[in-house]
Amino acid sequence: MAITHIHTFLVYPRNIGDSQSGGTTVPLEGKLFGLLQEVYERSEIECDIDIAFNPSGDGVQQNAVRDLVLNYLADPNLDSGLAIASALKAVTTNRSKVGMLFLIAGKENNDHKVVVSRFPADSGILAEEAERGLNVEFLERVFMKSEHSYKAATFRGPSLAAGFWHGRAIDRQMSSPLVPASDYWVKGFLSSDFKTTSAQGTRRLGEALRKVSQTNADQGIRREIIAAATLASNMVAEDISIDEFARRFNLTDPATNAIRSQLRNPETARERFRFAPDEFSRQIAFRSVELESGAVLTAQAGDFDRVFQQEALGDGRVRFSTTGVPVGEKLRKAS
Amino acid sequence: MALADEYTERHEKVLVPLALSLEEHIRDLLSGVERVDRIGARAKSVPRFLAKAEKLDEGKPKYADPLHQIQDQIGARIICFYLDDVDLISQHVSQYFKVVEERRVLPENDSEFGYFGKHYVKFIPTDIINPKWEERLIPQFFELQIKTLFQHAWSEADHDLGYKPGLVELTSDQKRRVAFTAAQAWGADRLFNELFRERAPANR
Repeated sequence: MAITHIHTFLVYPRNIGDSQSGGTTVPLEGKLFGLLQEVYERSEIECDIDIAFNPSGDGVQQNAVRDLVLNYLADPNLDSGLAIASALKAVTTNRSKVGMLFLIAGKENNDHKVVVSRFPADSGILAEEAERGLNVEFLERVFMKSEHSYKAATFRGPSLAAGFWHGRAIDRQMSSPLVPASDYWVKGFLSSDFKTTSAQGTRRLGEALRKVSQTNADQGIRREIIAAATLASNMVAEDISIDEFARRFNLTDPATNAIRSQLRNPETARERFRFAPDEFSRQIAFRSVELESGAVLTAQAGDFDRVFQQEALGDGRVRFSTTGVPVGEKLRKAS
Repeated sequence: MALADEYTERHEKVLVPLALSLEEHIRDLLSGVERVDRIGARAKSVPRFLAKAEKLDEGKPKYADPLHQIQDQIGARIICFYLDDVDLISQHVSQYFKVVEERRVLPENDSEFGYFGKHYVKFIPTDIINPKWEERLIPQFFELQIKTLFQHAWSEADHDLGYKPGLVELTSDQKRRVAFTAAQAWGADRLFNELFRERAPANR
């Protein structure tokens, strides 16, 4: 059996109670164990955000939360678990409410693994069928693996001496476009950030879009990519992956595959990062349209459609028109 | 499997091609950046890795788990012209790699001269990892050093004279002379940086 220890703690917001109260050990059998076993086993699929612990402020290779995770893995018990629960309480506000923290430690071949999972509190109704009808009861504090605010992180590796600098997380609240992004779980509690930096992820995206627009043989795919890149020039800093970008701009499967084919490692398509508008405009600065008549029209990518008015004339012909004061004129050598 | 066999397998299958990819990746990131003299990346050789793995600290092995604890199995260097470039290039490159350690390496005492340099431990970006490689063979980190030409030249000669395996320890006078060259390199860096700053507005 992979799971070796499970501990759980009730974690209140930091302004309720002086210190974190003790938890309990969950037996490795029964219905609760069955639920948590599923959480443990599915964690590597469900936790789809690659994260890495941040080094200390002075650049030293040390992170207080990583230390707590390593201590727990080295000796999983209520005391080492309590230290993690206390760290969670320290960053929990009334907005996040009370939650149930589960720490699930295990061994997978040569790897140590831990899943840190928070079930938020909710209210619910217990309904039981009786002989003469239905018994219903209001339950004030139910802890559920909520679709909208469930949070977890998993860390796995062979070395407790040097590993466990990165892991994977899920933050349903962060993933939902309907709810403001929450820094509570990844940045606040785990003292981590995306493993892919803003500039790194944005550059990767920009390069892939640019290469498809320059090299793909299919004109339809090139058009799709250029339209998406033009719209993306107006994006603000937000969390996204290349796969999510493709879904956001409703790219067809062939266009999505064309982007993926330009990535050196296709795995990077699912890595999340915070979009960096400055880096994107460095990667996709200008948009050019070349006509069979010999004309080449160029403008900043985000402004092209505003600068050039376009009128379809039939037979694939388009009239581009623009008005402005000439401020420069250049001859350029062939590239 | 013995440590030597494990590292040899890792070195041949992953570290050597990974170092080449990393060098190309850094070159790409720095294209257009001025006053970069050279960029290089190397896989730590098997003998050097094993020598480091056997190091002692107060009589006990320094590394309990060398394959995971030794983080410079891949090392990269960026050598630039002036001291100000070290900071500019550090800022530029740091945007593109998640960092786990950042330190400015200086002599222990303010009145000593020796090695100077900026060192980072950074995550190896997924972009340059071949999906066909076995996960157990892939290191998580690489070490990046960013130095001036003088810092680089001094550290290479210092290493060659004093730190190669099997060399007799430097005498007290030789150590003093090596420290003197470090002071000269430090002074040259300062003067060139001052000249660079003075000349920059005129040459814009």
